[in-house]
Amino acid sequence: MRPGSTSAACAALLRRDLTLAWRRRGDIALPVLYAVIVATLFPFALGPDPALLSRIAGGVVFVTVLLAILLSLDQLFRADIEDGSMEQLMLAPQPLALLVAMKILAHWITAALPLIVVAPLLAGMLRLPPEAMPVLVAALLLATPLLSLMGAVLVALTAGTRRSGMLLALMLLPLCVPVVIFAAGAVAAAQEGLPWIAPIAWLGAGLALALVLAPLACAAALRIAMDT
Amino acid sequence: MANWVPLWLHRLGSPPVFYRFAGAVRPWALGLALVLGAVALYGGLFVAPADYQQGDAYRIIFIHVPSAWMSLFIYGAMAVAAFIGLVWRIKIAETVAMESAPVGAAFTFITLVTGSLWGKPMWGTWWTWDARLTSELVLLFIYLGVIGLYHSFEDRRQGARAASFLVLVGAVNVPIVHFSVNWWNTLHQGSTVRLLGPSHIEASMLWPLLTMMAATKLYYIASLFARARADLVASESGKGWVRDLLAGRTGNDPA
Repeated sequence: MRPGSTSAACAALLRRDLTLAWRRRGDIALPVLYAVIVATLFPFALGPDPALLSRIAGGVVFVTVLLAILLSLDQLFRADIEDGSMEQLMLAPQPLALLVAMKILAHWITAALPLIVVAPLLAGMLRLPPEAMPVLVAALLLATPLLSLMGAVLVALTAGTRRSGMLLALMLLPLCVPVVIFAAGAVAAAQEGLPWIAPIAWLGAGLALALVLAPLACAAALRIAMDT
Repeated sequence: MANWVPLWLHRLGSPPVFYRFAGAVRPWALGLALVLGAVALYGGLFVAPADYQQGDAYRIIFIHVPSAWMSLFIYGAMAVAAFIGLVWRIKIAETVAMESAPVGAAFTFITLVTGSLWGKPMWGTWWTWDARLTSELVLLFIYLGVIGLYHSFEDRRQGARAASFLVLVGAVNVPIVHFSVNWWNTLHQGSTVRLLGPSHIEASMLWPLLTMMAATKLYYIASLFARARADLVASESGKGWVRDLLAGRTGNDPA
């Protein structure tokens, strides 16, 4: 039997993951709900002063999105490892890095894209000025794939362990410091009417680097953690 | 003539040989570290003059600066060992990388604590979101992540390989974090004591600093070797050489 072409395998894997996610639609809503709850708690804790809220809105939205993605990352490879599909993917003739990249893409579409859709709403509730809103969405569009890619490497490393939730947060924190700095920095610059293109360009550069390196690192980490 | 160096290194990769080598080196390194540390403390606390601005409070740099150097040096050593362990699958390299992490975390912690103690009277606050402080804190988190990942696996070698990979990911990330944090907040950058170069420091203050640096390096070697010996005995407990060791039989050289 001849193996299918790489592009066909990637498309099949992407379709499978998206179908699986669609069958369990309720799970997609959970990170969004979590983000809404966290963002709602900030005005209660800090007081409803619009000036204060509009100053912290950008940062709060980014940290909230980051936490919601962190929450969903834990599930990235778990189901596949438990039912044995991950071993099959590793044995597949197609390069594992590309297959893993498809899984990360599916995760980004199901977990991060709904968050990006709801983020302007959250920012509006926190009184972010409208002129900063496009910058917020642009920064999120660049920052969330970066977080998904880097998180996937770390999730792959913890694939062979029992408890991984807190450990994942501990390992992801140092990695996501630059992402948060640049993303929130772009929004803050836009709010003050300063040029915001430099931090966005940094995020884009980081994303280009991560798109190439992270799937390879993720495949290597999976091979280490699954011990094959 | 130069043939014995690779041969010796090759033999050092064997756990029993490394165990004996580390056991022979460790007391000397520890003793020398204690002597040099005492000399450096005497030079720093009694011989070196007080600073004309900071008075005696600056003397904490004789602990703070060598610890900060060690926190980065140990990460470098750990990354090299992790790379060797991952590429050539040498067990000793994995052990060295994993047992370096707690020592590095301890030095990073000491750096943060002494910095806070110095910052309270000098800056009026024990913590500020300065670039250097923040990157040092992030470094501590990386160390803790490596230690946590290593211990979360049931199989030690698998844990060591996964944590070694994390060390390499962190090594790529540390410069990025450093520069992004600098970009984020460059306040106080010029006023931190760690910027003191050899050209800006009085010779009577410099020699205790360099002596303490040598002492911390030797202490790292002693501590690393002690930890690696304990780790080797634990992970090789089923092997013959450990059984001979525990039974008190010296036996012939098995290597």
